[in-house]
Amino acid sequence: MSAVAVNDVRNLEFCIQAADSNNLQLISKETLLRGHGVMTIFYVVVAALFVLLLVFLQFRRMRASISVESSAADFELSRHTFNNYAFAVNEAAVTEDRTMETSQQDRGADLRQGAGIWPPRLSSRQSIHLRLVKLSWGRFRQASLENELRPCRVRAHTEPPDDSSAAAQRLQPDEQCCRMLDLLPLAVLVTNSRRKIVFANAAAEKLFGYSRQELAAMFADMLLPPLRLNAHVAGSTCFDLTPLGGNSHGDRDLVARRKDGTEFPAEVTMNPVSPEGEPCNLTSVIDRTERYELLQNRRQLVHLTRVSTLGELAGSLAHELNQPLTAILSNAQAAQRFLATQPLDLAEVREILHDLVEDNNRASEVIRKIRALVKKVEAEAVPLSIASVIRDVALLVHSDAIVRGIRVFATVAPELPPVHGDKVQLQQVLLNLLLNAFDASESCSALDHEVTIEATFDGVDTIRVGVRDSGVGLAADTVDKIFLPFFTSKRDGLGLGLSISRSIVEMHRGRIWAENNKDRGATFYFTLPTGASAESHCSRREP
Amino acid sequence: MSAETSTVFVVDDDETVRRALTRLIRSAGYCVESFGSALEFLGPHRCPHGCACLVLDVGLPGLNGLELQSEMNAANRPVPTIFITGRGDIAMTVRAMKAGATDFLTKPVSDLDLLRAIDNALQQSSRALSNRVELDLIHGRMARLTPREREVLMLLVEGRLNKQVAYELGIGEKTIKAHRARVMEKMEARSFAQLVRFIDKVRTPLSPGQSAKR
Repeated sequence: MSAVAVNDVRNLEFCIQAADSNNLQLISKETLLRGHGVMTIFYVVVAALFVLLLVFLQFRRMRASISVESSAADFELSRHTFNNYAFAVNEAAVTEDRTMETSQQDRGADLRQGAGIWPPRLSSRQSIHLRLVKLSWGRFRQASLENELRPCRVRAHTEPPDDSSAAAQRLQPDEQCCRMLDLLPLAVLVTNSRRKIVFANAAAEKLFGYSRQELAAMFADMLLPPLRLNAHVAGSTCFDLTPLGGNSHGDRDLVARRKDGTEFPAEVTMNPVSPEGEPCNLTSVIDRTERYELLQNRRQLVHLTRVSTLGELAGSLAHELNQPLTAILSNAQAAQRFLATQPLDLAEVREILHDLVEDNNRASEVIRKIRALVKKVEAEAVPLSIASVIRDVALLVHSDAIVRGIRVFATVAPELPPVHGDKVQLQQVLLNLLLNAFDASESCSALDHEVTIEATFDGVDTIRVGVRDSGVGLAADTVDKIFLPFFTSKRDGLGLGLSISRSIVEMHRGRIWAENNKDRGATFYFTLPTGASAESHCSRREP
Repeated sequence: MSAETSTVFVVDDDETVRRALTRLIRSAGYCVESFGSALEFLGPHRCPHGCACLVLDVGLPGLNGLELQSEMNAANRPVPTIFITGRGDIAMTVRAMKAGATDFLTKPVSDLDLLRAIDNALQQSSRALSNRVELDLIHGRMARLTPREREVLMLLVEGRLNKQVAYELGIGEKTIKAHRARVMEKMEARSFAQLVRFIDKVRTPLSPGQSAKR
């Protein structure tokens, strides 16, 4: 028998065809009931079962018709729902039907993308309507089912059957809390475990230039690029909060990006909070542009004073360079003359060539040292020997000392451990103290001008460097003031040298002070910690 | 003056520069001695004999070049000096030239300039040397004169006539004539004009400053 049963129950949707392709008849229920009694009962039972099946299917569809969060820009579907239903979305405000069609293999990807692209703008007060279409047994048949599309308008939040969706809802900070966060002057972002922004306060809107709705559609990584980088490195979606060398909830300086693409230095503090056991992050972002500029200015000041110190030495440095050049010229001309004479004295020429190489090296060494001091580089802390710092500075002031008639002595205690610091900056301190000592000695009429540099132990893990002059000494009322900025006792001094020296030494966790000698003149001391105790501190700090 | 018999002294505190200068000067055939400081030079060579010149760095530690020069002048053994310096200023140059420097060169110094300066200095040294020899000779001859003869000589070279001298000294004109003949003989002067020239030399010994102009 060929028959086609049509179920005309409410919300008729699917035609089940008991098909004989050649002979298709439409039979009503009444006809069937008038037939054979047993068969009638059988048909009734079959029909009842069929109705039950349809009701069950309908029930399942209703259950699967999911929720869309009203305020969030994404929606969450369980894998089951996604696999079994096509879904179309009707957004009231836009009045545009968007139907997402996915193929079996890239569904997962599209689902995630969907979170990003739909809906483009959605205010928190809007309601969303979702129309779901049952797939025909696991396959998409969107086109053929177009007419059968049964709108099942679901108000947002009406039915949260899905776990992740429930989690997303719980992550929403309650309104009172939001209002409080809005009052804060600093930008606050609340992100979920996937780094997606679930809430941004008013300050964040202002700081980043995005509206709140835009922010709610974004991931925190888009605002704070380095975070994403780190997350990638860590190889997990869970972001590693630990800043380099800091504590787990500590601050870190990052570069954040505004809507217009400009970047700014930001101090980012992240604190994991767990409302009802759900992990989320409270991220506060502080614009550090001003502090950054201040740091930059300070760095430039240090560099400028160093360059101006070298400027004072320019004559002497030219002389240091002139000496090897003189030797090179005279040697070369002597060689020319020797080569013109007979018999040729090869040994002499060989010696000359050797000297030429040495003098050339000497000249380059002077240039290298000058360049190292002039170059504008970030301070970096490395282990270095204080003896080499003293040696380099002594070379730079060597001819200046001769011209001024000052003898310079340096004594370094044997087996001093290395200090941890920036070589150029420590040279700057020593250079500054030495030139001060020269000035002091010169102003004194005594005949024997001597300046002594002394490096010794000062306790177990500290090195003390002293620069002792034989000048007039310090007036009692100036001892406290000499390290203040713009205080100077020289006629043409800027008053920055010692103040900058102090900040450099303090950055190295050392101390700088001055004392009058018992006989005459004064001694300037500074200390530097040695070994591992110094390492942790100065590696990340700037003057 | 031949290069072989003359010595060039080089004083420079910078070892490589000193070696290079020494070599360059030696390549021109001069005999060279070098010293690292003014004191080192003054030690054995307080009075350098023979024909010599000094190549001196101004910026020496301790006693500097200019001080060494005045020390030499004070010791009345001036040596023609060529200064070389890395950073000469006008004041320094004037001071050095006034004190009798023959040249003032800046580093790096070209071989032609240096060797020409050395040549000049050595010629000057040899002139001074022959002058000194002559002066010594004249002084030796004058030492042979008796006091009276010396009195007569001094008055005669001032252009007085015999009888004026006789009148001034209160002795006879014949006696003056006899003195005059003995003075001529002792001073080994062939003419009275030559005698006047001898005395002139003794009276105005060469000052270091003048020697450069002659």
